Amino acid sequence: MEQSLSEFMSGNLETFWAMTGFANATWQHFVMLAVGMFFLYLAIKKNFEPMLLVPIGFGILIGNIPFSAGMEVGIYEEGTVLNILYNGVSAGWYPPLVFLGIGAMTDFTALIANPKLMLVGAAAQFGIFGAYMVALALGFAPDQAGAIAIIGGADGPTAIFVSSKLAPNLMGAIAVSAYSYMALVPVIQPPIMRLFTTKKERLIKMKPARAVSQNEKIIFPIVGLLLTCFVVPTALPLLGMLFFGNLLRECGVTTRLAKTASNALTDIVTILLGMTVGASTQASEFLTLETIGIFFLGFMAFIIASSSGVLFVKLFNLVLPKDKKLNPLIGNAGVSAVPMSARISNNLGLEYDPSNYLLMHAMGPNVAGVIGSATAAGVLLAFLG
Amino acid sequence: MAISTAAYAQGRKGLYLTEVMVQNDSSVVDDYGMRHGWIELTNSTHASMEISSVYLTNDSTTPEKYYPVPLGDVNTNIPPLQQVIFWADGEPNKGTFHTSFKIKPGETIYIIDADKKTVLDKVTIPSDLKPNTSFARVENEKGEIVWEVRDGGDKYITPGGSNVIVDTNEKVENFRTLDSNGVVLTVMAMSIVFGALLVLCLCFYAISKIGSAISKANKMRSQGVEPKTVAKADAPASDSGEEIAAIVMALHEHLNAHDQENTILTINKVKKAYSPWSSKIYGLRELPRK
Repeated sequence: MEQSLSEFMSGNLETFWAMTGFANATWQHFVMLAVGMFFLYLAIKKNFEPMLLVPIGFGILIGNIPFSAGMEVGIYEEGTVLNILYNGVSAGWYPPLVFLGIGAMTDFTALIANPKLMLVGAAAQFGIFGAYMVALALGFAPDQAGAIAIIGGADGPTAIFVSSKLAPNLMGAIAVSAYSYMALVPVIQPPIMRLFTTKKERLIKMKPARAVSQNEKIIFPIVGLLLTCFVVPTALPLLGMLFFGNLLRECGVTTRLAKTASNALTDIVTILLGMTVGASTQASEFLTLETIGIFFLGFMAFIIASSSGVLFVKLFNLVLPKDKKLNPLIGNAGVSAVPMSARISNNLGLEYDPSNYLLMHAMGPNVAGVIGSATAAGVLLAFLG
Repeated sequence: MAISTAAYAQGRKGLYLTEVMVQNDSSVVDDYGMRHGWIELTNSTHASMEISSVYLTNDSTTPEKYYPVPLGDVNTNIPPLQQVIFWADGEPNKGTFHTSFKIKPGETIYIIDADKKTVLDKVTIPSDLKPNTSFARVENEKGEIVWEVRDGGDKYITPGGSNVIVDTNEKVENFRTLDSNGVVLTVMAMSIVFGALLVLCLCFYAISKIGSAISKANKMRSQGVEPKTVAKADAPASDSGEEIAAIVMALHEHLNAHDQENTILTINKVKKAYSPWSSKIYGLRELPRK
């Protein structure tokens, strides 16, 4: 039987309607779209980590446009453009590329000048394992607890790398939680730093760092790689790229490569990483009680990490000579969040003594935190992977 | 399949015989719906392995009887840690995975490399191997490779699959049962993280000491003084003005406090013999006094 023209048109329009976002939308989609817009608001209006939250926020919008399955546009549909871009997250090769850029951007001078600051970076990693214990108590399985706890490392790429291996289904929530709390470091850390320090301790002036030779800067990434990766080879993709990037920067003969790694390459990978992580947070996986648990644990991890860094410095001061005491305000910088947490140490130090510049001292534990969190990630992967 | 997953380099060294069945009346069927004896090969490496041009045989003394795995079949590229089955039916015209020989209990099966000489792996089938039982390669509790007879009861026959069926992550289960509150993992992990960074810290103390000693000695030699003869108190300060200038300049560069410049800044001392004829001071006009 032949179709009339009106039947033909209405049939096509019906098919088209069934494909639209309006026909496929659920309330969960709208909640997620609101979350995405909130992230964009935080990034654009409040200037909270805009480089990360703009791609993630917009990614959430992209990932939560409703459509009917099978249209070959979704991030989880094999072979789609988004799926191909998402491979860098799911197969875990974006984070090492970001680490290459971090290495090429990071100046380890403060750490080399005062190597004992490495221990502050190590102490702050207790945030990861403290959160691991809390996560177990809340009923998460050990591998999921490990993936969530890595938020305490305050290092987005590391969190994505570990969660993609230990708990891929939680990765979206973990990544968003990690980046959100990194953006909120200026809000979370200062009260903790004030709580655990006395006014007298906040006024401690640290000795200026010694000069570091070019040779030491070149040796650092080489020795750093060998020592840390012999202990935890599972961290090789992260630490290998971090130290490689740093060698490009410090060796003095690969300036062009270092510039590319620290600028163009990092920017490209950050855009793709943020956007695809955002797009991967789909309502079905994201709007769950587990996500609330993850956000709570992430918050706990940041608090424990910042506290343990500050408390460790206080403890360390008990054994240090009087003229070599450390200002406990640099302890919070042991969580990675480079250079935000070091800036907070500096700002708080200046608040109590306008002539006490702690920035360069805080950069020591800050960059040690990057090494420490990557090492901790390797340990978690070795034990639970 | 429970062979060691020690990382082999590229090549066919990681290619193993992992399970064999001689008389197959109730096990797996081939593409034609027929049952034959079968030989399972495993790529134990973590990279894909192309096995075309290796040979399979049950008679290592007559190379002309070797069955060459044909070229040009994409299925001969075995994915990492995966298996393929060859049907020992003596009918190679049926396809790539049908060998030119049949197997019997008591025989030895070989995988021979493309040079027709190198034996990659071999296994001797027990002469008393019963019908519908397989002979499989596994790793025992001590980590040694052993072969065992499998009858399909408690010991599964696994043609084309891993000889060890893992349904849980053993590590995670152990932590779940033995470390339910996470204290053990925390102590171990924090010790490792601290240990690694402590070693790095000590290493850099040593490197900085050695470095400063060498640079001090070099500096003194350049001044024509033997290092041993100079008392510690007389030693020059380690921080020279040049180094401080370099640090300040690096910070200035790092903070990107000025526009892009193509010039190269150097901190080399420029020595010029003074001459009033070339002195700029005489070329400058005085500022007008108010």
